[in-house]
Amino acid sequence: MKKLLYLSAAAVVLAAGSAQAQDKTLTISVYAFAQDEFKEILYDPFEAKCGCKLVVETGNSVERLAKMEANKENPVVDMAVVSMTDALSAARTGLTDKIDTSKLTNFDKLYDIAKDPNGDGMSVGYTFYATSIAYRTDKMKIESWADLLKDDVVSHVAFPNVTTNQGPPALYMLGKALGSDKPDLKAAIEAVGEKKDEIVTFYVKSSQLVQLMQQEEIWAAPIGRFSWAPFTKLDLPIAWATPKEGQTGGMNVMVVTKGSKNQDLAHEFMDFWLSTEIQTKLADALVDSPANSEVKVSDEVANNITYGQETAQSLKLIPSDVALDNRDAWLSEWNAEVGQ
Amino acid sequence: MFQNRAEALALALPAAIFAALVFIVPVLLLLSEGFKVAEQWTLSAFVDFFSQPLNRTVFLRTLKLGAMVTLVAAVIGYATAYAIVSLPAGAKGRMIGLVVLPLMISPVARTYAWIVILGRTGIVNQALMAIGLTDEPIRILFTETAVFIGLLQLFLPLMVISLISALENLPRDAVPAARVLGANWFQVFWKVILPLTREGLVVGGTLVFTGSMTAYITPAILGGSKVLMLETLLYQQVTVANNFVSASVIAFILIIMSVAANILLKRIATARNRT
Repeated sequence: MKKLLYLSAAAVVLAAGSAQAQDKTLTISVYAFAQDEFKEILYDPFEAKCGCKLVVETGNSVERLAKMEANKENPVVDMAVVSMTDALSAARTGLTDKIDTSKLTNFDKLYDIAKDPNGDGMSVGYTFYATSIAYRTDKMKIESWADLLKDDVVSHVAFPNVTTNQGPPALYMLGKALGSDKPDLKAAIEAVGEKKDEIVTFYVKSSQLVQLMQQEEIWAAPIGRFSWAPFTKLDLPIAWATPKEGQTGGMNVMVVTKGSKNQDLAHEFMDFWLSTEIQTKLADALVDSPANSEVKVSDEVANNITYGQETAQSLKLIPSDVALDNRDAWLSEWNAEVGQ
Repeated sequence: MFQNRAEALALALPAAIFAALVFIVPVLLLLSEGFKVAEQWTLSAFVDFFSQPLNRTVFLRTLKLGAMVTLVAAVIGYATAYAIVSLPAGAKGRMIGLVVLPLMISPVARTYAWIVILGRTGIVNQALMAIGLTDEPIRILFTETAVFIGLLQLFLPLMVISLISALENLPRDAVPAARVLGANWFQVFWKVILPLTREGLVVGGTLVFTGSMTAYITPAILGGSKVLMLETLLYQQVTVANNFVSASVIAFILIIMSVAANILLKRIATARNRT
């Protein structure tokens, strides 16, 4: 009997010990991109500051969200960064908790569009990007999104596939240019479908476009600002269009997992990430455009990222609920009009 | 070799258990998704899949490209393999080395090279314009032709190697004997070489056909979403639509087509043998 008592006492001590060690571990789930830079600029300094251990899980958003869903009852991840739309999807399925903005000392410094992107208090934007058209100034003039489909231009255009992050925003702007503001994107998809044989390709990875531009396979393509820098290094006259309908784009946000035992630490980490110092360093390294309005960068850096109050205000983003509620319909419409 | 069957089976057991645990069971679990809708066993996912025009187009395109690549690989493969087998030993080794060489380069690198070659300013278009066949560059990239060329280059070595080993087992005097007895080259091939090397053709054909149908990188890069194949459609279903039922259906179709191709090729080969 005594033995049993000792044993259970030992078990209790061990359990308490491991619980304490767990308190000092924060598990985050992020995109698998620029992890070397993130480690140097964000992860290592945070570990030093909080005296805790940071466990980083990476992957694309579909696999990461699937994993969070599978571990819903017993969450492994404490906080995650996902797209605005995925954040709304996670909020709807009850995977996330409200963000306690009173714990974020840097919250007031954020651009307005980043403060509560979905209007539900469940996420905070940490970076956003503009989407517009990169084009050859010696071959064409782009004043409107509809110019992409002009007869002398369209056979030199790469358009983003609807399955990419750039696809729906580009279609959304094309629709606006064609005079349709409907969330079903039908008018834009039909217009693209009519020209599908002339359009060079419907790209999936923007990294491929630099080569196509260099080979003069294409003269224009809608792209996200984060893939703009390599184009400026080509020895070709390429410009970033400012169409009259405006630029579109996307935003990535932070969410806190529902039922996470480390919500305080998660908020501390998010606040650190949103601080002027860290956001400036990430911008200077051309990793992420800043959502913190106090960040100041050189002209050269500004030219390669999405930067400034004016830009932030001019971005016409697709509302998350529109994207989420129409995603399947866009894909089947696209497959019917363009995919065959 | 073994005292009894039990002993032989016991030796195979560890490998069998391993294969069952890490391959067969997971694959069956994955495929079963396609037959289960709302916890009910049904074929409705397959009916749904084939009721959509896009899916039918993609299915037929995959089948067509797979068959064309296999056929052309067999024709070029026989000629290449026959030429290599006829060489003296040293030269033969070097030529086989050259055939195998592309297999050692990553398919991604090889496929990207095709983007340069087949592009508007690439060597193919420059040559076509230089000899006056066309006034302005023709579009090859992001068409079925580009996917066909990429797949053929990717899998031709597998066909050539299979046929080389088959042709090496061909009796040395079989061809001269047939020629002396008055057979023309077509008859020599059809009545002597083909029946005697059918095993190599079946192996090579299965590898090329299965490879062409299940290749992802080449159709994704050279065809893009304008030339969707079953494999690129599967990827789209998983990563974008999050539709694992439809993805399981595609995976099942791909496996069935590979097995069917193998059976069909064996049939063709043995049917020739009976005449």
